[in-house]
Amino acid sequence: MAKPGDVLLFSAVRRDFRPWLLLLNAAVATTGGLLIPTALASAVDMALSGKFVLVTVLWLLLLAATEIVGDAIGIVLAASITSRATAWLRKKLSRHLLALGHPSPFAAGDAVSRVTGDCGNAGSVVVTLMSLIITVVSSAGSIVALALLDWRLAAVFAVSVPLAMLLVRTHMQLTADDVLAYQQVSGEISARLLDAVSGKRTIAAAGIAGREAGRVLHPLPRLAAAGAGMWRTQAKMMWRAGLLLPAVELAVLVAAGFGILEGRLTAGDVLAALGYTALGMGIVGQLPQLTVLERTRASATRIAEVLDTPITGRPAVAAPRHGAALELRGVTVEGALHDVDLVVPAGAFCAVVGSSGAGKSTLAAVLGGLSAVDSGEVLRDGEVGYAFERPALLGTTIGRSIGYGTDSGAIEVRDAAVAAQVHDVLIRLPQGYETPVAEAPLSGGEAQRIGLARAIVRDPELLVLDDATASLDTVTEAKVDAAITTALSGRTRVVVTHRPATAARADLVVWLENGRVRGTGTHRELWDDDDYRAVFTGGE
Amino acid sequence: MRFYLSTLAGHRRGVLILLGWSMLEGIPAFFGGRLVGTAVDQGFAAGKPTNGVLWLLAFAGLAVAGALGQRQVFARLGGVVEPMRDALVTRIVSGVLDDPSHRGTPDASAVAMITRHVEVVRDATAGVLIQARALLVTTVAALVGLATTATALIWLVVAPILLALVLFALMLPSLAKRQRDAVMADERTAEATGSVLSGLRDVAACHAETEALRDVADQVDQQARATVVVAWANSLRATVIAIGGFAPIVLLVAFAPPLVASGRLTTGAALAAVVYLTNSVNPALHGLARTTSTVVMRLMVALKRLQEAAPRSTGDAGEAVPSNGEFVLRDVTFGWSPDAEPVVRGLSLDLRPGDHLAVVGPSGIGKSTMASLLTGLMPPDSGHVLFGGAPVDQVVPAVRHHAIALIPQETYLFTGTVRENLALLAPCATDEDLTDAVKKVGAEPLLDRLGGLDATLGHAGEGLSAGEAQLLALARVYVTSASIVILDEATSHLDPAAEARVERAFARRDGILVVIAHRLSSALRANRVLVMDGGKPLLGAHEHLLKTSALYGQLMLAWDPTHHEETPLPKR
Repeated sequence: MAKPGDVLLFSAVRRDFRPWLLLLNAAVATTGGLLIPTALASAVDMALSGKFVLVTVLWLLLLAATEIVGDAIGIVLAASITSRATAWLRKKLSRHLLALGHPSPFAAGDAVSRVTGDCGNAGSVVVTLMSLIITVVSSAGSIVALALLDWRLAAVFAVSVPLAMLLVRTHMQLTADDVLAYQQVSGEISARLLDAVSGKRTIAAAGIAGREAGRVLHPLPRLAAAGAGMWRTQAKMMWRAGLLLPAVELAVLVAAGFGILEGRLTAGDVLAALGYTALGMGIVGQLPQLTVLERTRASATRIAEVLDTPITGRPAVAAPRHGAALELRGVTVEGALHDVDLVVPAGAFCAVVGSSGAGKSTLAAVLGGLSAVDSGEVLRDGEVGYAFERPALLGTTIGRSIGYGTDSGAIEVRDAAVAAQVHDVLIRLPQGYETPVAEAPLSGGEAQRIGLARAIVRDPELLVLDDATASLDTVTEAKVDAAITTALSGRTRVVVTHRPATAARADLVVWLENGRVRGTGTHRELWDDDDYRAVFTGGE
Repeated sequence: MRFYLSTLAGHRRGVLILLGWSMLEGIPAFFGGRLVGTAVDQGFAAGKPTNGVLWLLAFAGLAVAGALGQRQVFARLGGVVEPMRDALVTRIVSGVLDDPSHRGTPDASAVAMITRHVEVVRDATAGVLIQARALLVTTVAALVGLATTATALIWLVVAPILLALVLFALMLPSLAKRQRDAVMADERTAEATGSVLSGLRDVAACHAETEALRDVADQVDQQARATVVVAWANSLRATVIAIGGFAPIVLLVAFAPPLVASGRLTTGAALAAVVYLTNSVNPALHGLARTTSTVVMRLMVALKRLQEAAPRSTGDAGEAVPSNGEFVLRDVTFGWSPDAEPVVRGLSLDLRPGDHLAVVGPSGIGKSTMASLLTGLMPPDSGHVLFGGAPVDQVVPAVRHHAIALIPQETYLFTGTVRENLALLAPCATDEDLTDAVKKVGAEPLLDRLGGLDATLGHAGEGLSAGEAQLLALARVYVTSASIVILDEATSHLDPAAEARVERAFARRDGILVVIAHRLSSALRANRVLVMDGGKPLLGAHEHLLKTSALYGQLMLAWDPTHHEETPLPKR
């Protein structure tokens, strides 16, 4: 049955000529491999006759060389095909995920697993298919070769194949329970370890690392028990698998023995029969590849699911009325904002306040064009700079994370960091501005100020701060505020805040409640309203 | 690596039992070729089918014994691999929690990485034990079998195999390096993708789609190249092994004719030799090549990563005994690295029982460093931090941990009962002591809501707000007999009233209280204030600092937003 991912897999295969090379190579190597047991049989018969025949030995050598060289080429070709297809899929998928923008219909963790895991699985489709084909061809070829030696050998062998199929199926059912238990306990230990590392300072200061390690490891015996169960199941499976090949070999050998007795076969043919038996049984070991193929298709479907999600794109934005930096007309975002009208004068400092869930962040996102509106209009002019409560710092180094997405040089980055009151922190880092983001020990407040610097460096007409100074103490916040006023003088600022001090400094306060504008005015005008004060005091 | 090997050696008995069963598993390899050869030679080819069938039945019997051996091997594998994994997990968890550097606390993804690598070590150890053992037993058994049947040809067979193995061993280091590079490239791809995709909002806000895609594509391409480089190395290795496995067969048939003609090699012996090579030695060699290229490398990389995640603690505990409960700091300077600006510079300070110190200053300036210096978690770069006359990091750990309690901003709560969580630092505390402490810090309504001391908490204080979690952490320290309590922004998620209540409760306890302040109101409650602002630290009483320090005045002005600038400052 066709899956949505199959088309994608097909195009991943078709865009490269190497799969054809791999097929050709596999055809030659497999043919060589299939001829080897017969060539070996003649060589052994030659040896037993006591007379050296050069052609016989050379033929065996040639076939062996073909197989060995073919395998060597096959390894490189397979890796090359898989890695190219994987990289192609990963880039295609990443590009689409980035184009889908914010908010993404796919959760971050899910998207990452599609890019890293699923693309890797889907990229191996050619190699998986090819190894299945080779196995089927080898096994079929072996049966034909056995039949050519003596049809009785082929008949004896054919009986054993269904037996093998049955065996592999039982194994897969048997392990499921222990595997599940193992994963659960393993997850439990991880969760406990995460608790403990979050409290690492408490543990270190109290000197109770040993005791807490014991607490984390409490479920360990259950893990060992589940693990032992998995091994026991494996043992049962190996016991049967271990018996299967000798049983088939025994049957074929007895049949071959009677072939010698009746003069149909030579002593060397017994070896050939053994060789073809082993080759033919290869299909048993390859049966799990069918599961792999299914997994590949499932992964491709998960990739196609993303690629088939249409990109809406950012609509062109019209300029607002004269004297305004920003205008919202009847803006509605399902479940967050209802019919919001708003005019922010150019150069104004506008504070957005409201209790949690009032729609402040959604308002901040739509007014700068970060996310789309369901109905209504956003009118705006010029570049927008955003800073957030919890900024994700991206880019290779701390310096780059400030200049991210721009071509700002070291001086602009440094100036922005100075304005955001974070320069003093950054020069104290192990490698200063060159410290890789992942290795910089930053507190929430420091990350916030780097996020601010990132907004400042773009020199925007409109600056949107979504609770971007929540982790700063009041002094630092005041300093940052003063620095922004200097660095970006005359620009419009919209600030989502929980702090009365910030609202008090604003030219205009927009008070949101349940996704609607409850009131606008200055902080002092609104302060007389009990409900407004409750926004800051939490109703105490 | 050394730890890993010593752990395996610690399960020597398990490994020996495993090897014992392996002998049984090797029996078919030892007799197999000879029995097939004899069945043909003295049975079917000699016109005695009954003998032939009987010899083959003996072959079958041995195969059953071998399969039994294999079954036991797998069943016993758990006895080696699982305890090894237990020891590894124990060591890693202790290492992570006892990390002496106190930098870069592992996050959720680091914990997931640890779990994944431990599983790799477990699977790979099993894989190596299965393959390496099978290779050893099978090859030795087959070669001995070969030597007893085709003595004249033994060197023709052994020499190519040995040569291939030596060549293979020589290739291992470069193969290992390439494999490691590939694994690193893999991890970097996951990191780059992870940071971009979890920061899509920020990418969109920066209009940085192009740069984000370039960062990801760079890693993806590097990873793809690294994979192909590994494949070349693998291909070379496979060729060496394949030649080493096939050459003996060709040499055998090429050199056999004169020996057969002169009667020094029987039909059965020649057949047996080929069966040994094709059925036992060759598969074992291929297994070895497969295992080393993938499994051993994965094992080594995983072990290296685990070692980085959990460095061995130095564990040199101090032996000094403090003579009193006083703290003396003299000219203390500390920075994160020799090149970086110091976080604390030339700080001198005395703390006596009854003192209540507030540390204030802009965020990110290193106030938490003070807490680490006072608790002896980190020694200063220069100067002295003395506790009862002894350097605090040299004090007997038991005494130090008992006397000094730190409550950091990040709360440690674990899954277990509320009682277990509260009694973490005072295991002997009675229920009355615990409920009393809960009352003192104002967490009684919380305890009632949770359902008392017997209620169970989930992971990471699931269902509790950050403030509620902090209240539990505060009560936990309140119940101890620590004589120095350091609150490192420990009340950051409490409202001002709750914070004041907590600080007053701790101030009424005997001993020293140090509050690393989140809000400036903490300074008003302290009898001394330390101001940190990057330069030389300022120390004094609130009123004194107001008169003498412009910075402090500025701090206080900015603090209360609802008052206008001309409003008088709040009195203590």
